[in-house]
Amino acid sequence: MADAIEVEHLTKVYVKKRSLSQIIRRPFGASERVTALAGIDLQVREGEIFGLLGPNGAGKTTLLKILTGLVVPTQGGARVAGHDVLHAGVAARGSIGFVTSEERSFYWRLSGRENLHFFGRLSNVPGRRLRQRCQELMDQVEVSAFADRPFMDYSSGMKQRLAVARALLHDPRVLVMDEPTRSLDPSAARHLRTLVRDVLNRRQGKTVLLATHNLDEAESLCNRIAIMSRARVRRLGTVAEIRALESPKERYRVEVAPAFTPHGQAYRVLETVPGPGGAALTLEFDRGGEGLTRFLSDALGASCRIIACERLQLPLQEVFDRAVAMEDEPARPGSLR
Amino acid sequence: MNRLLSKLWAFFYRDFLDEVSYRTSFLLQFFGSFLFVTTWFFIARWVAKSFDAPPDLPGVTYFAFVLVGFAFYQYLQATLTSFSAKIRREQLTGTLEAMLVTPTRASLVILGSTVWDFLMTTFRVAVILGSGTLLAWGFGERVGMRASGIPAFLLLLVLTVTAFSGVGILSAAFTIWLKRGDPVNYLITAASAALGGVFFRVEVMPVWLQRVSNLLPITHALRGIRRALLAGAGIGEVARDLAALALFAAILVPGGLIAFALALRRARVEGSLVQY
Repeated sequence: MADAIEVEHLTKVYVKKRSLSQIIRRPFGASERVTALAGIDLQVREGEIFGLLGPNGAGKTTLLKILTGLVVPTQGGARVAGHDVLHAGVAARGSIGFVTSEERSFYWRLSGRENLHFFGRLSNVPGRRLRQRCQELMDQVEVSAFADRPFMDYSSGMKQRLAVARALLHDPRVLVMDEPTRSLDPSAARHLRTLVRDVLNRRQGKTVLLATHNLDEAESLCNRIAIMSRARVRRLGTVAEIRALESPKERYRVEVAPAFTPHGQAYRVLETVPGPGGAALTLEFDRGGEGLTRFLSDALGASCRIIACERLQLPLQEVFDRAVAMEDEPARPGSLR
Repeated sequence: MNRLLSKLWAFFYRDFLDEVSYRTSFLLQFFGSFLFVTTWFFIARWVAKSFDAPPDLPGVTYFAFVLVGFAFYQYLQATLTSFSAKIRREQLTGTLEAMLVTPTRASLVILGSTVWDFLMTTFRVAVILGSGTLLAWGFGERVGMRASGIPAFLLLLVLTVTAFSGVGILSAAFTIWLKRGDPVNYLITAASAALGGVFFRVEVMPVWLQRVSNLLPITHALRGIRRALLAGAGIGEVARDLAALALFAAILVPGGLIAFALALRRARVEGSLVQY
């Protein structure tokens, strides 16, 4: 399947302006350089929800700003729906809808409908279609009942939903969302996530690039994620692939009754917790190996009943922390893409 | 073309809705202009006896002289303040980023934001000229506008707005670059008010200052417009001012656009386009 977003060797170095005191102390001193992106390579496939994770200052916002034409890269390039963001910026922006978490990005004294009409014209929606398109989108994001109320009267959830509607005005193939649920209560955040996954992605086939700090959100929504830290992509792939990379062994918790002492070669018992009439065992074995099958076979062979069997996953937070703590080496190439 | 007009209309309508939502402020700006005209009407009556009409404006009163000068000085103020003020306001309100990520060119986003200001300035100029004429008529005096000068006036107006826009775009470039402290705005505003012949004849200044004032587009704009409106001058009679304004426009508009493109490019490299 074609890539909706292609990022190749993307580098961005900001040159910090020198303060007056620095200029006075060292008139000919060099300006400080800050590398926001260091040779990023990334492909977002058509129709997927791709999560961009990373701590503050990792380079996520710079990447989004380059894709939306607000920042020029120092080296490398990026394409959105086949359009070079640097040399065909207008066409690239015509294929992308940007949802910011910034509530102030609307005209507060204008109504939601008036705001959408204004941004619709800037997004090249034909005049004769504009009214209908705005109504469709307001219905879709469920703000129609407040369409003619001033934007300043909207709740945070409604403001964010209107931001989604605005990004969809020109029916872009790609939706870029920068922490869309940051200021929302849990219910409004869930509502927005459902809209993104069920309506925009699954029903309308939009590709979504989602920058978020919310790991649960990334896990529940995204087909693949990239974990960024200190200007580089540290991990890239599905959540399961990244977990596997961080933790080559699989762990299971199995409750058996009565208790028994296994001694298989294909698995290792990390912990045994005795319980009423049985025991809960924590097992570890090679990912993709026969460890679980062998254990269950051993247990059944010893006339034990299997009361419960639960997979213990490495929490995404731990995966994230490990990726963020990685030393400066490129993301492991190929295998996870 | 339709798309361009549609976008310009969108900017105009957005600003109209925003402006009329502050009803008192909207009305007070016209009242302020009327008060200014009234103040100058009485100052003009006071100094009337010591005012010598310029040779090219025979019989023109000081009030008529100031009224036209003040009215068209509005255009310069509008161009100098509206480009930079609009950018700054959009940066502060966070709407600049939202506009710049749409498939509309950044230059159109910024230039389009001034459509309302230009049209409102035209309306304000009409209010100033109209209220001044009515006020003079109420006191048994006349401003003495001549219909025969209208073709020359319209041509002068187009070139004046074009030349002033060049200065405004240059000012906008500095706003994008420096964020605050745009030197073009400070210099041109102060120099134009002091030396451009808004409130007094340029000829009363020393010769070297007159030479400096000739480097300002407003000097030529006001001289030509006064001659057209108050003395009924034809296009041939204001040809020198038309030529000077055309030259200013030919230099300032491309110069402003180049500076603006460079400032945008620099801001995108620095990542400071939406910073303030």
